[in-house]
Amino acid sequence: MVFDFFRSKRQTPLEQIEATIAGMLRDSRVVFDTAVGALFGGGKSKEAKKAVRATDRAINRAQEDVRRALMLHSSVMAGSDLSTALAYMSIVKDAERVGDYSKNMYELVKFGADFEAAEDAEHLALNRDLVGQLIMDAADVFDGHDAEAAQRLIGKADGFLSEHDANVKKAFKSEGKADQAVARAMYFRFLKRITAHVMNVLTSLVVPLHRLDHYDEAPEGRE
Amino acid sequence: MDAVAETPAEPKAGIPPALRGLLVLALLYGFLVGVKLLSSGIKGLGSGFTDNLFEGASNPLVGLFAGILATVLVQSSSVSTTTIVGLVAAGTIPVETAIPMIMGANIGTTITNTLVSLTQARRSEDFKRAFTTATMHDFFNLMAVAILLPIELFTRVLSRAATWLAGQFAGAEGGSFKSPIKGAVTWGTGHVKDVIHTVTEDPTGSAALLLVLGLAMIFLTLSLITKNMRTLVAARIERSLNAALERSALVGITVGVLITVAVQSSSITTSILIPLVASGVLLVRSAYPITLGANVGTTITALLAAMAEGATSALTIALVHAIFNIAAILIVYPWARTRFIPVLLAEKLAVVAAERKWLAIAYTFGTFVVLPVVGILLLS
Repeated sequence: MVFDFFRSKRQTPLEQIEATIAGMLRDSRVVFDTAVGALFGGGKSKEAKKAVRATDRAINRAQEDVRRALMLHSSVMAGSDLSTALAYMSIVKDAERVGDYSKNMYELVKFGADFEAAEDAEHLALNRDLVGQLIMDAADVFDGHDAEAAQRLIGKADGFLSEHDANVKKAFKSEGKADQAVARAMYFRFLKRITAHVMNVLTSLVVPLHRLDHYDEAPEGRE
Repeated sequence: MDAVAETPAEPKAGIPPALRGLLVLALLYGFLVGVKLLSSGIKGLGSGFTDNLFEGASNPLVGLFAGILATVLVQSSSVSTTTIVGLVAAGTIPVETAIPMIMGANIGTTITNTLVSLTQARRSEDFKRAFTTATMHDFFNLMAVAILLPIELFTRVLSRAATWLAGQFAGAEGGSFKSPIKGAVTWGTGHVKDVIHTVTEDPTGSAALLLVLGLAMIFLTLSLITKNMRTLVAARIERSLNAALERSALVGITVGVLITVAVQSSSITTSILIPLVASGVLLVRSAYPITLGANVGTTITALLAAMAEGATSALTIALVHAIFNIAAILIVYPWARTRFIPVLLAEKLAVVAAERKWLAIAYTFGTFVVLPVVGILLLS
């Protein structure tokens, strides 16, 4: 405890903060898998609900820990790495939102959505897998400070955004049953939000502080 | 998308830790040489000059106010207490006269975090917490002086205890003690004196040069030590402060001592606490023991300065500084009735100051500047 002062640690406090943010993304993937697993045939269950809630709470606690640690870091460092602290203060919210939107997927199950036997199940599952992998890849890239990999991943995720948008529009114009259309519109909307928040986390590795968060706008609106 | 074109700013490559550690050691040596030059300069100027300068300081209240004012002016109790150690070592002022000055330095040093707390004025609740944290340090140190200065004047208990302790180091050697670093410091000081003698052979002129150079070296090396040590142990400070959050008072006091000894500045320790408490990361009552630990930790500088001197009187006044701060904690903190008096007073003042911000500025300026100036003018 107090003797921590004399111990040499392999990780600096900032590296610990980065590891926590990466851990939040990995936990979000757990929430995502559990929630989407229920959507693809798993159905409602106490276990799934409990797992989703418990992991989401752990993500929220991690967010608070990161904010507190960043405040402590900024006070001790007297603002010498203010831009990093502000960037992390911003993206920790994105990491938390990834968990939140993943949790929202479970809401669709509660409303009765089930994609397992759907005609477009393959298309829905493909998008599920792509986003699930994106979350894990983002956690690894963020953890490894790999700016080039982040740039590649942002480019890839940018393509997903357009696809999710197109799928939301398609659901709106669908002439099928209303509950199925709503479920798909919300599913793709949640996937789009998850993708956008993952991209925001990655932007911290490649763009200056003032340009964070601008990847979920329409392409023509981007600089 | 042109993200590649604009990448985040790369952090500047700093000095490697091992090299920074060596730099701190060199600075520490420079600091000790500075202390020795200062006392040599004072001795060289002769008793006529210094007697006039400290004529009024025999009045304890004048000494107290002088200690406050000097510390406020240099914004560092380490510099002012080191100077006092130098004055005592040179025989310019006796230990008895220096004690109120040391106590004054303890009060004066709290202005830094009070000034830092004023920067939180925009957000009322944050400001209340920040100002409470800053002024509880003021109130604790004022309370410590209010209790211990009269006791010292009547019983000489602090100086007796320090004299006894210093005597244990001095042994049979009386006026001096065997300092492990005195020889090395004397070697460096000798070289600086040789250089000064080539500039001027006038004894008063070279003494004045030694005095100015000594003060400049103390000021410069201490600020550089603080700056470098802060960088060197930043991660350790973060970890230990994290450990102190919501822990026992003893942990808080220990953390306060460790951080302050490491960075050689209580102002750094207490100023770090201000934004933490203002933002709610740390509770006022959790910051309180860390502040008290900082009071003890800061006494290391005067003890180091006494090592450079090797004079028992210098060690005695440095020990008085340490004993005073430890005694203040032992008198106020263990008892439930007295423990939170400084916090309660600070909270009351913060409520008023949050409503009338000018009062916070008036309090700061009045306590640390007007009161000591008026006190010195009236009493000396």
